[in-house]
Amino acid sequence: MNIITLAARNVYRNGHRSVVTAAAMAFACAMMIVFASLIEGFVKGSEQNIVAMNSGDIQIHRPGYRDDPDIYSLMIDSADLCNRIRQAGFATSERIFAFGLLASGQSSSGVQLRGLDLDFEPTVTLLNRQVMLGDWLDKTDHHGVVIGKKLARLLDVSLGDELVFVGQTADGYMANDTFYVRGIMRTVSSAIDNAGVLMSKSMLRELIALPEGAHELVVMRTDSMMNLELASQKIKALIRSDLEILNWRQLMPIISRFIETAHVQTLIMMLFTYIAVASVVLNAMLMSVFERIHEFGIMKAIGVRPWQIVRLVYAETFIMTIVASVIGALLGSGITWYLQNHGIDMSSLAEGISFSGIALDPVWYASLSSESVLTPVIFLFVIAAIAVIYPAIKVAVIHPVDAVHHH
Amino acid sequence: MRSLVTLIMIGLLASVFPANADKSRVRTLLNEIDDMWRGQSSYAITTMQVKTRHYTRSMKLEGWSKGKEKTLFRIIEPLREKGTATLKSANHIYTYLPKTDRTIKLTSGMMMGSWMGSHLTNDDLVKEARLEEDYDATISFEGVRDGQDIMEFTLIPKIDAAVVWGKLQLIILADSHIPVVEYYYDEDMLLARTISFSAIKTLGGRQRPSVLRVVPADKPDEYTEFVYEQLTFDLDLSDSLFSLSSLRK
Repeated sequence: MNIITLAARNVYRNGHRSVVTAAAMAFACAMMIVFASLIEGFVKGSEQNIVAMNSGDIQIHRPGYRDDPDIYSLMIDSADLCNRIRQAGFATSERIFAFGLLASGQSSSGVQLRGLDLDFEPTVTLLNRQVMLGDWLDKTDHHGVVIGKKLARLLDVSLGDELVFVGQTADGYMANDTFYVRGIMRTVSSAIDNAGVLMSKSMLRELIALPEGAHELVVMRTDSMMNLELASQKIKALIRSDLEILNWRQLMPIISRFIETAHVQTLIMMLFTYIAVASVVLNAMLMSVFERIHEFGIMKAIGVRPWQIVRLVYAETFIMTIVASVIGALLGSGITWYLQNHGIDMSSLAEGISFSGIALDPVWYASLSSESVLTPVIFLFVIAAIAVIYPAIKVAVIHPVDAVHHH
Repeated sequence: MRSLVTLIMIGLLASVFPANADKSRVRTLLNEIDDMWRGQSSYAITTMQVKTRHYTRSMKLEGWSKGKEKTLFRIIEPLREKGTATLKSANHIYTYLPKTDRTIKLTSGMMMGSWMGSHLTNDDLVKEARLEEDYDATISFEGVRDGQDIMEFTLIPKIDAAVVWGKLQLIILADSHIPVVEYYYDEDMLLARTISFSAIKTLGGRQRPSVLRVVPADKPDEYTEFVYEQLTFDLDLSDSLFSLSSLRK
């Protein structure tokens, strides 16, 4: 008789036990898929979060601008650079900066004005979604600015309050204007928190008499699958070599290291989960074989050879694992798909998580990928195969008389 | 025995007196230099020219001072900034901005910022120090140098003086006591800036340099130059001139 047919009949005949065993494996498989997807989601999410909050994937500056943000350290042909970068399939946006004094009533503070391109900034970062109070900038509002949370506290201002700015124009005159608080940002970075005044690029251009050029270009990959290094290389090939092109890992090495470490830590966590799953599967397989020692004894007595018994046990396991992995994969993907779209909101546990001046998104999303599904499925097969070695050999070599009398 | 005491006394006096005489002479000279610009009160019209790598611009200012605590400047040219005024009263600086019709008070964090785009900082205005009060001065050179009979003072800030410099060197003409050049050293004793005085003419009733040029040591091709066009001393200025309300005018 065909071993596969026999195994299938055995699985069907021991319906109750087979269901329990397969269910245990399916559940374990689903757990692993969800867990792996959550880890991948965490790593990807932290990256995206950091990148999307403020920094973008890649930033372009004149060399030295980051150390000494001189108003004249300008990429004068920034509009042209942007066009070239966009034609190459990347998203990019210009930013200009200026420093000065912002006053309200008796208090004043040194601030950094950040002029953003309101059309293109949303294509590279999610800054526009980080307004805690009030509204994001609007092109038609020529006096509204969005300021950092701590700056608002320092100046003791709230929505609608007046702000007076004094600084210097690029041609050496006094830059002076009044604004009002249109919005207050939640924590994005400590720089914006403490001294950030966000406004439209055109407003800032007029204020500091800087008709063209930009201090910073922020570039974002439109294809998230593209390697960051590769993207940097492509940008480098596109533009002049005298500009400094850094990706976010180079811009924020501490954060980058933190994410890498977190990745390793979660991998170790995952290893423990896998070990737990392995013991569940092993237990189920042991039970399903040892419960039937009596039955295997009779098979031996009627002349079935040990090798055939081993193959039979393996065939049964294989059938159950296939069923379990299909169910597990479907269940796991389903849960992951839900978590990918809805996320786990951690904000009730910790409000405003930030690290090294960079805020992290409090909602944890899973990330479903072929890898996070396939790895647990393959692992399930390997574990099942290893788990039945002992029971399979045990029943294969058992003496028929002992087995028949086994209870 | 008495003669011995007398001898010691004479010896002590002899060693003390020259030093004292020297100190009081330094003090007199420094006060004279300080008073050269201020007097009890003053009124001045000055042109300020700022040249940097990126722009060159000039403005005309009028300024009043009373005592050493009160100063008021107002821009009269160019039109774009006319009416912008800076009031220094005690240790505070207020700026009136006609464009927005607002007065703001500068906080300590802004003190090292540039004043009106020049090479002077707001701190320079606040700390317009009396040399004699804030520094321990010695005459480090006296005689002819580069064909000029000069005196060179080295000024070290007193321990409790709120001064940002590490050392000052001031060179004056030996006969007229007119300053020639002043070197400012930072806390690491590196040259930070040079102020040179030139174009001596009769201003406010006496001979003084009418041009002050500030050159930052790290940008030798840049400068801020003040040209005194008019200078009058010891006017009867009321305290209300140096108030926030007169700042707006």
